[in-house]
Amino acid sequence: MTDAKKKQGDKLSEAEAIDRAKQGDAEAFEALYNLHKRRVYSLCLRMTANTAAAEDLTQEAFLQLFRKIGTFRGESAFSTWLHRMAVNVVLMQLRKKNLPVVPLDETMETEEESPRKEPGADDPRLAGSVDRMQLQRSIASLPPGYRMIFLLHDVEGYEHNEIAAMVGCSIGNSKSQLHKARMKLREILKTSRAEKATKP
Amino acid sequence: MTCEEFRRVLPELGSGHGFEQEEHLKSCCECSDLLADLNAISQQARLLQGSESPSPWVWNSIEVALRQEGLIRQPQLEHPRTPAPLLGWRLRWLVPLGATLVLVFGVLIYQRGTGHPQVVQQPSPPAGVVTANLQPADVMGGEDLQLLKSVGERMPSMRATYEADLRSVNAYIRDAEQSANSNPNDEVAQQYLRNAYEQKAMVYEMALDRSLP
Repeated sequence: MTDAKKKQGDKLSEAEAIDRAKQGDAEAFEALYNLHKRRVYSLCLRMTANTAAAEDLTQEAFLQLFRKIGTFRGESAFSTWLHRMAVNVVLMQLRKKNLPVVPLDETMETEEESPRKEPGADDPRLAGSVDRMQLQRSIASLPPGYRMIFLLHDVEGYEHNEIAAMVGCSIGNSKSQLHKARMKLREILKTSRAEKATKP
Repeated sequence: MTCEEFRRVLPELGSGHGFEQEEHLKSCCECSDLLADLNAISQQARLLQGSESPSPWVWNSIEVALRQEGLIRQPQLEHPRTPAPLLGWRLRWLVPLGATLVLVFGVLIYQRGTGHPQVVQQPSPPAGVVTANLQPADVMGGEDLQLLKSVGERMPSMRATYEADLRSVNAYIRDAEQSANSNPNDEVAQQYLRNAYEQKAMVYEMALDRSLP
């Protein structure tokens, strides 16, 4: 595609692109892809922590979307529709690979049973010092169940009732997982900061 | 409220806190720091949304799959959002047609003058007859009027210019025809006639090209 055509594609409004994509217009498909690729890919990447798998999932999510675009009637926002589809594709893939979506051991772990260790408990607060790269690395090291709920809620902005429906767990479970994920991240970030501070 | 109680209800707390929790946070630095940290993590996490970009091959693969599945159709020449260029595309077929007609007339006239000497020996037809057969004169023919109509719709300010050009070139053709008919063996007269038709073809081409994007 030429730059001029690409520019024209980028200029299409979403509604216009949807209408034209329904007619099979290649530029419209590309415009829709360009509008949403980053969010879909970022979600896939963080869920899987694997670049190749994330790209495959992104491709699959968009293909599913474009196959069904004729049925989109605009009752909901297009982005909502697309991202829900992307999440479903990722979840389905994770289930196929038998990756734990919400592992029982983590789910059933109560606050009382969980380890109380807080390596950085005496350190000053993290607020204001959480940098993006550090947070990305910490999220990648979370157990898959925690990671999924954290990403859906704190990164993607889904509510607990939506997450519960998508993942197939209770709302209470979703809240509990999110809290544990945040606590775990705090622990990882504090440990990381403490290690960095001791390095010469 | 104790720290343990606060931490027990913490997962249930949304963005707001109750009176009891507020009071505890005011008196407990540890819980206050904990809450601030969790909020900072949550806020920073929101910035990660859409922060990564896939490699270009992802779109390429999607496009290939869409074409294979027949979801992408061949691009149409007629673009619904651009009516003016559309008109240009519709009329563009007139360019080769007009040019061909002009050249055919030119060749016919040339052959009548040079390729068939017997024509020379016959009495020349009256100039008016030849003009009527060949149609162009400074009087507008059907094609000329259609062209002017199209120019008038797209560029009203240019219509008069093209009308004057067409009248001028038609007059030139008429004169060249008369000259060629009067002197069938005159190469120069035949050349003038060909030039006249080429000029008319050029006027057509310019008029139609201006309508293109």
